[in-house]
Amino acid sequence: MPEPRATTHGPIRLVLVDDHRMFRAGVRTELDDSLPVVGEAGDVDTAVEVIRRERPDVVLLDVHLPGGNGRGGTDVILGCAGTTTESGAPVRFLALSVSDAAEDVISVIRAGARGYVTKTIVGEDLVTAIHRVADGDAVFSPRLAGFVLDAFGAAAGEIAEVDSELDRLSAREREVMRLIARGYQYKEVAKELFISVKTVETHVSSVLRKLQLSSRHELTAWAMNRHLL
Amino acid sequence: MGQDGSVPAYENASKESPQPRPRLRRSVEDGWIAGVCAGLAHHLGFDVRVVRATFVLGTILLNGLGLLAYLVIWALTPQALDGEHADAPRPAPTSLPRLDRAIRALRTSGRDEAFGNVLGGLALVVLGAALLLERHGVNLRLGLVLPLGVIVVGAVIGWSQLDRAERSSWLNESSFSGRRGVLRVGVGLVLTIIGVLLLATQERGWAGMGDAALSALAVLTGAVVILTPWGLRLWEKVKREQAQAIRATERADIAAHLHDSVLQTLALIQRKADDPAQVQRLARAQERELRAWLYGGGQSAETTLAAAAKAAADDLEDRYGVPVEVVVTGDHPLDPDTQALVRALTEAMSNAVRHARPPVSAYVECGASGIEAFVRDHGDGFDLDAVPADRLGVRGSIVERIERHGGTARIRRLSDGTEVALTLPVHRPVNQSLNQPVNQQTLPLKEAHDA
Repeated sequence: MPEPRATTHGPIRLVLVDDHRMFRAGVRTELDDSLPVVGEAGDVDTAVEVIRRERPDVVLLDVHLPGGNGRGGTDVILGCAGTTTESGAPVRFLALSVSDAAEDVISVIRAGARGYVTKTIVGEDLVTAIHRVADGDAVFSPRLAGFVLDAFGAAAGEIAEVDSELDRLSAREREVMRLIARGYQYKEVAKELFISVKTVETHVSSVLRKLQLSSRHELTAWAMNRHLL
Repeated sequence: MGQDGSVPAYENASKESPQPRPRLRRSVEDGWIAGVCAGLAHHLGFDVRVVRATFVLGTILLNGLGLLAYLVIWALTPQALDGEHADAPRPAPTSLPRLDRAIRALRTSGRDEAFGNVLGGLALVVLGAALLLERHGVNLRLGLVLPLGVIVVGAVIGWSQLDRAERSSWLNESSFSGRRGVLRVGVGLVLTIIGVLLLATQERGWAGMGDAALSALAVLTGAVVILTPWGLRLWEKVKREQAQAIRATERADIAAHLHDSVLQTLALIQRKADDPAQVQRLARAQERELRAWLYGGGQSAETTLAAAAKAAADDLEDRYGVPVEVVVTGDHPLDPDTQALVRALTEAMSNAVRHARPPVSAYVECGASGIEAFVRDHGDGFDLDAVPADRLGVRGSIVERIERHGGTARIRRLSDGTEVALTLPVHRPVNQSLNQPVNQQTLPLKEAHDA
């Protein structure tokens, strides 16, 4: 694991960052008591201020926000760099967006978001995703998995020789990504590949790390030239 | 010159640059006839009465020079914009605004200041030339005084019209605009004065014709140099109007699109406010449409596998109100084989949307050796031996269709839901007979692999 896992099972303190009040209200109603919302913000500057003050476990972050340097959610993540919770774990970000644009996906992930889901996600899956991000794991929607397969050339058959290679996915990571793109939950992926859920999480986190660190040319070029379907 | 940047640059500069004096503007509201005296008084910082008296005295004592100067300034000076002279002391209310309006209406295309100014400038040149000719016939002092007056007034106006900002605007080179502007106007002035001197000092008679021609040329050159700013101003205005027209067209396009799509949908939603399912469907369809419009980049929907798969999913969502998340990696042009794959995929998605539980997701991977497509739902699954009669056709049109194009289809039951997996090898010869419609009634059921 690249980051220490949070072992507490107390309530996960949330901050909602979205410039649509209606959407924030909608998300609130879908969350149960184990996920108290301790702050809300509608623009970059307020978001940074609220997150630094409240030190939440997880921030639900819209990609497109007014204010800052004009890069929305990316600016929030960069502005909150180094902020930790009371227990010393880093504040984790889960990007939530209506955007289909690849440059938005790559931008927030490379800034440090632990996952990316679209706003059409059902409430149950959102709760699962928040718990997963709070535990330091990565959350990949089918769309993000498809993006990764495309960007790393894995769909075209490029596979890393060694797992540590940053610019390619390993064969196992590719299998995991393919199953997630097919709509499988982590536990279904685990069952399919005869591995544990924990191992699936390890693979996904590893892919996230590659996505954040890789200097692979196609990653940026692809994101600039193409939009996700 | 005249690029997009020049207009804001002009505005910024005029705000920032120190202006010891207000620019010369005819102040119609404060004036009696055309606001020339009021504007001049404001510009020079004199009492308006002094200026008026000067013009009247100049008219009486100098054989009409005052009137001539008045007309020239009138023609060449732009009218003050609203509020430009707001701080000026207001004399008695205007008594002759109607006259001014009537005279201005006589001028071509009323509101076009720059055009009027150019016409005024041309009139000035013609007038000067006419007086020059008159000088050869009637050798009066008036003949010398009038062109001199005209030229000096023209030069003064030219000078006063050019503040720092305008020079930088019509030279469009911020680094050396000030110096160049001064140089140009200076040259104009020098030429004008040389012309005047030649005019005043030449010998009388035909021997002086060469000098006269030279002087006329000098005067004309000077006038051209002085008039250049107005020509450029006109050009700038035309450019600005062009840009505005383009913006207006774009705005109209956007407005038309929003009206046809978003506004119509909002109206529909308001009418169906009591039907949440309908409202949700409408909102989703509109969201998709708007997103395609914003991010789509005009891609034709039916030329590639990815676009076709996405379009099929959208169509199903419109019909049944269940979203299908389609993820495609890579892409492939549509040919008969991939078209068959899309149709099979569409059947599978349709099946999932109608008979299973959401979320329904589809994944299409275009690899080097083949295309794989998966449709995943979260229904209870179905027993292949107990498939209802109406599902027969669906099964046939998925499995049989894809197999006749050289691919395979598998249907798997998962612990939660069902997955249809389609594979299609690419780069194989196309069989012409493959595109026949599937006879769904007579197709035998294929045994699918259960998980």
